[in-house]
Amino acid sequence: MGDVKLAFVVQKPQYKSETSRLAITHAISYQTVEILLEDGDIVTPTLCFVGEGVLGLQKGQKAMDLYGITSTETHIKNCLLVDLDVLVCKEDLAKYGIPEDMMPDAEDMGADKKIKVAPFSEIQKAMEDAKHVLFF
Amino acid sequence: MKLAVFVSDFKLACDTLERLNADKLGIIFVANGVYHATTKENGKSSSLLDKAPNLYALSEDIQTRGMKDEDVDKRVKVVNYSDVVDIIFNEYDKLAWI
Repeated sequence: MGDVKLAFVVQKPQYKSETSRLAITHAISYQTVEILLEDGDIVTPTLCFVGEGVLGLQKGQKAMDLYGITSTETHIKNCLLVDLDVLVCKEDLAKYGIPEDMMPDAEDMGADKKIKVAPFSEIQKAMEDAKHVLFF
Repeated sequence: MKLAVFVSDFKLACDTLERLNADKLGIIFVANGVYHATTKENGKSSSLLDKAPNLYALSEDIQTRGMKDEDVDKRVKVVNYSDVVDIIFNEYDKLAWI
């Protein structure tokens, strides 16, 4: 039995390309990967946003209203709903002047889990602890 | 040449724009380019805001990203899709997308 830790690190802003969004959807789908593992093994993903990756996480996104696409905000809420650990770099939020209280939560969907605004050192630790680190 | 340049990235556009010359240069921030108009890095506005007197940012792309039209730098005019069509047809000869 083992715990396979994965770190999904998003370093590009949302919306322009698909890669940054793929990190989120891949992380959400982590439970489906467990069927490929040995009995008793589990997968524990951590979704991290660093650098320009912190752009496009703010709540109040109107992507569905304006373009008919699921917003990154909704994807993040889905992450919290499945108890995914989501870390957002504190230093990079400060660098771009984004208040921490602009990070979305999924309380309205019944999720207890919240985004954790964390110093880069904590994100670095998550990467060090992970068996696989995937950059998007 | 009257040139309107669409900027749709946050970081990749600056070097190219440095070299572009036009009698009238306009910059239209769309997609992730709108961060040039809304976001300060380490408290400093994007250098692109000093490149041209005619700056526009697409409202739909600002709001898609959870920001408000009021978040836009005062040098930049917030426009919608209809406005962009009018701008590129009526005010510029050529267009570039970087």
